[in-house]
Amino acid sequence: MWINMGPQHPMTHGLWNLRVKIDGEIITDCDPEMGYLHRGIEKISEDRHYNEVVTLMDRTCYVAGFAWEHLYILAAEEALHIAPPERAEYLRTMCDEFQRIGSHLMWYAAFVQDIGLMSPFLYGMRDRDLVLDLFQSYTGARMTYEYMRVGGVRNDLPPGFTGRARKVLDWLSDRFVEYDRLCLGSDIFRKRCDGLGVLSAADCIATGVTGPMLRSAGVKRDVRRDRPYASYAQLDFDVAVADGADVTARYLVRMEEMRQSVRLLRQVLDWLDRHPGPVLADRLPRWLGAPYAPVGKEDYVLKRNYPKGVGFSSVEEPHGEAQAYVVNEGSEHPYRVKFRSPVFANLSAARHYLIGYRVADIPPIMGSVDICVGEVDR
Amino acid sequence: MQSDDVARTVGAQVGDRLLGVDPFPRTAGRLRFRPDGALEVFRTVKERLGFDHLSMVGGIDWVTHREVLYVVWSDSRRQYLILSADLPADAARIESASPIWPAAEWHERETWELVDIQFDHHPDLRHLLLPDGYEFHPLLRSFKLHEPEELEVKQRSV
Repeated sequence: MWINMGPQHPMTHGLWNLRVKIDGEIITDCDPEMGYLHRGIEKISEDRHYNEVVTLMDRTCYVAGFAWEHLYILAAEEALHIAPPERAEYLRTMCDEFQRIGSHLMWYAAFVQDIGLMSPFLYGMRDRDLVLDLFQSYTGARMTYEYMRVGGVRNDLPPGFTGRARKVLDWLSDRFVEYDRLCLGSDIFRKRCDGLGVLSAADCIATGVTGPMLRSAGVKRDVRRDRPYASYAQLDFDVAVADGADVTARYLVRMEEMRQSVRLLRQVLDWLDRHPGPVLADRLPRWLGAPYAPVGKEDYVLKRNYPKGVGFSSVEEPHGEAQAYVVNEGSEHPYRVKFRSPVFANLSAARHYLIGYRVADIPPIMGSVDICVGEVDR
Repeated sequence: MQSDDVARTVGAQVGDRLLGVDPFPRTAGRLRFRPDGALEVFRTVKERLGFDHLSMVGGIDWVTHREVLYVVWSDSRRQYLILSADLPADAARIESASPIWPAAEWHERETWELVDIQFDHHPDLRHLLLPDGYEFHPLLRSFKLHEPEELEVKQRSV
């Protein structure tokens, strides 16, 4: 018998439909049905200026807006042959890592609620709000930031920001211990998570699965280390891995990633304190819509004779490995923008980690995948 | 140097169906191949060069022709490789990569419905992001954003 879990179902966390074929309680087949949130972001991007696409990137994944802004900006800069100043790269790294904590806290809150624990949900959301407060203090927004620009970022940090950020990091480090005690110390949690949704390393690689799901199978792969972007090459951190490849292992990987993010952020904040400087490249072509670019006749010439180019970037987004391919054909609009969403690939492997388990196991398993429908459908 | 190695190994297997390997920043290169040698190129790249992780498949409509793109990753080399083939616009079809990389299945469904590239011998080529029965391919240049299209959406079969 086929049953529809979705598009409106407490398990889905967004509009999508998981069709499962069941034999009694056992799942024998499944077919995720996507597209409820398809907005044609790749098509709309072809009709916008380079910096205007950033607005769409926030909405591509609404819990990890900074990671997607960063992804697109890296590819666009490569296609346009523009390099950002060093301080902007550190600021982007800071955005990415705070975003990773914010996204993982959102995942933590939603995931434990799926399992049936209510208070960790409230704690997760409470602590995520502290991160969003920091975002609001320098971008003015809590979800849709529009902060990064081709050639740098929009503005520098307000006075006193790094001190406030360090206080938040101290608070969060203490909370992570409590989270672990709440979940790993709970029999209900362990019984609902241990040994479920197993996806071996070989299956992960064959089906294109990346991110915490791949690292929970023991594969030490992280774009930040393997193909460093922004300022990751200068920073010190460990890649979080776990064995077991089940729901508990994914929990452990995400928790360790948040600790590593705190470690990265302390280094970034120290660097930002010591190195003031510009945050946007000077002499940007005026048609990019950069706020501080010099106005002059040469911009017009530049636009007409602007070199063509192709940009490819990959970023370790909170959900996994995201990629962008931007084609610049010498006009103010990108000719083609193509994105790779990590959740898209993780979800396409659903048959491999759902078949054989019971219907009641679906919420913890799908919760451990950490689905953001916005970036699957784009 | 990396692209030389790729060109030699793939060239030895597929001969003139390899059109060349261009340098591409911070990757092993951009490998251009003739679509009729697709499966052999995929197999060589995966089995002889170790690019076992398919990251994405995408298409670009160049109006005169269409380009299909594959991005693959090798864990042992810690590098990406971009594969690209030009297809004629009136008969844009290529062999499916899903027997080599099962990950290609969803990416090819998406590329088929958005850029109108047919993937032969695909196990399950049906709509993914767009409704069933949708006849347009939105990422073609001929699909204009500002002109409303009239369409009748058929119900999905349940």
